[in-house]
Amino acid sequence: MLTTAPSSASAPPAPVLGLSVLALLVVGVAGWLWAERPDPDPDPDPDRTGVTTEAPGAVPAELAGFRSDAWFLPDDARLGFVEVPAGPFVMGNDPGTDAMAFANERWSAAQAQGLVDLPAFYIGRYEVTVAQFDAFARDTGFTADLQARQAPPDHPVSSVSWPDALAYCRWLDRVLRQSSESPPELRRLLEAGWRVTLPTEAQWEKAARSADGRVYPWGGTPRRDRANYSGPGTAPVGSAPCPECPFGLSDMSGNVWEWTRSPYQPYPFTAADDLDRLGDDALWVMRGGSFTDSERNVRTAVRGGADPGARRPFIGFRVVIAPRN
Amino acid sequence: MKTLNAVTTGNTYAGPTCSPGCGNDYTWLRARRPDGPLAPSRPVRYKQAGLSMSAARPRRPKPGRQHGPPQPQTHAATTPAVSWRPLWIPAALALLLLALSFVPRVAGNPVLVGSFWAASAGLLAWLAVLVVSTRRHAKGRALEVVLRPQHYLQATVQVAVFVYWGYFWRPVYDHAWLLVAQLLFAYAFDMLLAWSRREHYTLGFGPFPIIFSTNLFLWFRDDWFYLQFLMVAAGFLGKELVRWQRDGRATHIFNPSAFSLGLFSLMLIATGTTDLTWGQDIASTLTLAPRIYLFLFLIGLVVMYFFSITLVAGSAAIVLFGSSALYSAVTGVPYFIDSEIPSAVFLGLHLLVTDPSTSPRTPIGKALFGMLYGLGVFVLYALLGVLGLPTFYDKLLCVPLLNLSAQWIDRVAASLGGTGAIGDRARWGGTWSPARANLVHITVWVLFFGAMTALGATDSRHRGDTVPFWEQACAEDRPLACQRLIQIETNYCGDNAGWACNELGRHYTTGGIVAPAIDEALAYFGQACELRFQAGCVNLLGGGTRSADPRALDLRLLLREAGPNLLEMPEPALYARACDHGWTFAC
Repeated sequence: MLTTAPSSASAPPAPVLGLSVLALLVVGVAGWLWAERPDPDPDPDPDRTGVTTEAPGAVPAELAGFRSDAWFLPDDARLGFVEVPAGPFVMGNDPGTDAMAFANERWSAAQAQGLVDLPAFYIGRYEVTVAQFDAFARDTGFTADLQARQAPPDHPVSSVSWPDALAYCRWLDRVLRQSSESPPELRRLLEAGWRVTLPTEAQWEKAARSADGRVYPWGGTPRRDRANYSGPGTAPVGSAPCPECPFGLSDMSGNVWEWTRSPYQPYPFTAADDLDRLGDDALWVMRGGSFTDSERNVRTAVRGGADPGARRPFIGFRVVIAPRN
Repeated sequence: MKTLNAVTTGNTYAGPTCSPGCGNDYTWLRARRPDGPLAPSRPVRYKQAGLSMSAARPRRPKPGRQHGPPQPQTHAATTPAVSWRPLWIPAALALLLLALSFVPRVAGNPVLVGSFWAASAGLLAWLAVLVVSTRRHAKGRALEVVLRPQHYLQATVQVAVFVYWGYFWRPVYDHAWLLVAQLLFAYAFDMLLAWSRREHYTLGFGPFPIIFSTNLFLWFRDDWFYLQFLMVAAGFLGKELVRWQRDGRATHIFNPSAFSLGLFSLMLIATGTTDLTWGQDIASTLTLAPRIYLFLFLIGLVVMYFFSITLVAGSAAIVLFGSSALYSAVTGVPYFIDSEIPSAVFLGLHLLVTDPSTSPRTPIGKALFGMLYGLGVFVLYALLGVLGLPTFYDKLLCVPLLNLSAQWIDRVAASLGGTGAIGDRARWGGTWSPARANLVHITVWVLFFGAMTALGATDSRHRGDTVPFWEQACAEDRPLACQRLIQIETNYCGDNAGWACNELGRHYTTGGIVAPAIDEALAYFGQACELRFQAGCVNLLGGGTRSADPRALDLRLLLREAGPNLLEMPEPALYARACDHGWTFAC
């Protein structure tokens, strides 16, 4: 049915309501976008608690055996750092005589094992824990993998990449230098030019097997009561007592693989060749095996290599205080 | 006046008029025909309660028509009858939108699902209010179907761009369902908005070019997709409500898609939330499609032929190309990094800025309008870069301002019309028939594009593409060269080229070309390291500034240069290409 055009009386109403809606939409969207904007101040915020307190592995105010006033480091005179004295040790393993050894553990074609002389250094008694990493993340606003802090606070932190581990080391180095809580001995070392970092592959192996070339930190045979391996998941650090282990260290076998600062290269080991292949795809050495591994992989001489960006639930780290190269 | 088949309600309002690129020199010329509307433009109305239908076919403008400002439409028009039946349509559209939330592409993301449900609920609630209101006044609503060529031809061209671009950048195809959802939302929103203000709604392809044009430049990521619906709503609200009197009748001021794009661009810039959108990716991935300039040029010819947008697009391109060439001649470095005219800008000057209903009507005014767009993009690109903001907003921000200046530009053009060489209408084809003038303009444009192509300014390799070029230019202290070097290395690092991340870390460590920032440096070294670029790991360990040649994987990214996908190129060919692009280590 055709009709004529409406009269002027039916002209559209004034758009006051519509313009109000438009203005409201603009203001609302702008406000919402403002709320969604990235944090303009990534600097440390001591009051920032949102990330971790709601996580399953939220850190309690106190943790037995650790100092809540010192970044949850172990409660002893040197905050858990143990001295490994200078001297030589036997590195590598001989696949010809040890059925469990892998080919990459052999020192060279002519020599099954090598003798490496290292200066003294200090190494963490335990793997870095969830609580310690959480203290770092809170202090710096560091955005870690969500999985990294899911475990209970006294378990080793995992799902951290190699750069994540180094970021923790840099932070710990800074706070130990600056804080009054730092033991004088450690502070003296740092003032003398030492630094907190990841262990080299050689430092790690010496700390694990001492100078007598043990297959496992506690001796020559596998023992389930001394380490967490072939198990369902991580365990609290230090929960497997190991009085026989060198330097009183825990979890050098199992629990989580531990990042080192050494690029994965064929033996013989020398820190001098770390810079030889800068254009290559890098793999970095990890040591010690993890809760997922069998007894073969938790031997002191086992060498694992991982993509530095890998964040896996079975890879963590421990730190050393060592002289700069 | 927009078109003769629009529903009219006296002289003050003519219903929904135009959408982006609705191309209306043609309809305007028809309207200027002395003896009244052309036969094909007259809506064929079907005697059906609440509905009428018309079909307007594109026709070439005939010789002999006069140029001049459009006159108010004064002829009496008929309107379709009102009834309750049309109100089912927005309900159906809202329910369809709801149903789309069950499509796997949408159902996989809870935020997307929530966005779809919220949009549907909003539309249905609005419809309920409208139904109550209309029943109270015992009035129905009327729907008239008018299929305007400026809408469906424009939409066809835009779909062609999506199809071609998406073939080489798959996120476009992944976005298809979301485009459909926006269309459903747009139709329902437009109907409800129109029926909330009057009895009649003109149904056609109008929302298609608005949605497509918006999505050719900006869309929100899935987790923030509800903002996309709000952006669409803003465009339609702007079209319906922000109006002025022009040539004796009320018409919208802003190109709807440009209005919402401009508005949201400002908000995204102000809040630093560009990362919530695909804007940067959209702007940089058009060139993944081979011969994209030629493709855009060819489809642009279709629009130019039917809708006479050549003066706007051509003058914008000429100004941009001329400005770039001048800058390059003076400084020795290209102005834009990867081309003389960025491909997204080239797309914009064909499909975003050329809506005749929101641009000047006179030939000189159109040319001025295009020139101002070109200058605007040129200036904004530098300004945004200096402010450290994403430069892809350059083509979006100036369009609303130009829309706002359209009448002023026409007045300037009119004042120029009587004086001097500029005003010599013969030079603009003023003494020719519109069709002939349009063909002349197209011919000039074709020749110009040919010249640009011959000079290597379109699909050819661009010297600003290569990192070695900018490294050298930076070393020679050319203007802005170091800033551009940082910019392109940042882009490549974002593409996961470990080499580029390491170079950025080195720059922020040494402080040679940027202010030293150790935290930034460590973050870039860390990123390089996680991408398995060994030098990055070593620098992270020791705070050094070691460098290494790009790996093959890096070269596949660095040599893409916003061009073809090189991931499967054999290494010998890859290194040959690297050598050809200035990477001496690869020779």
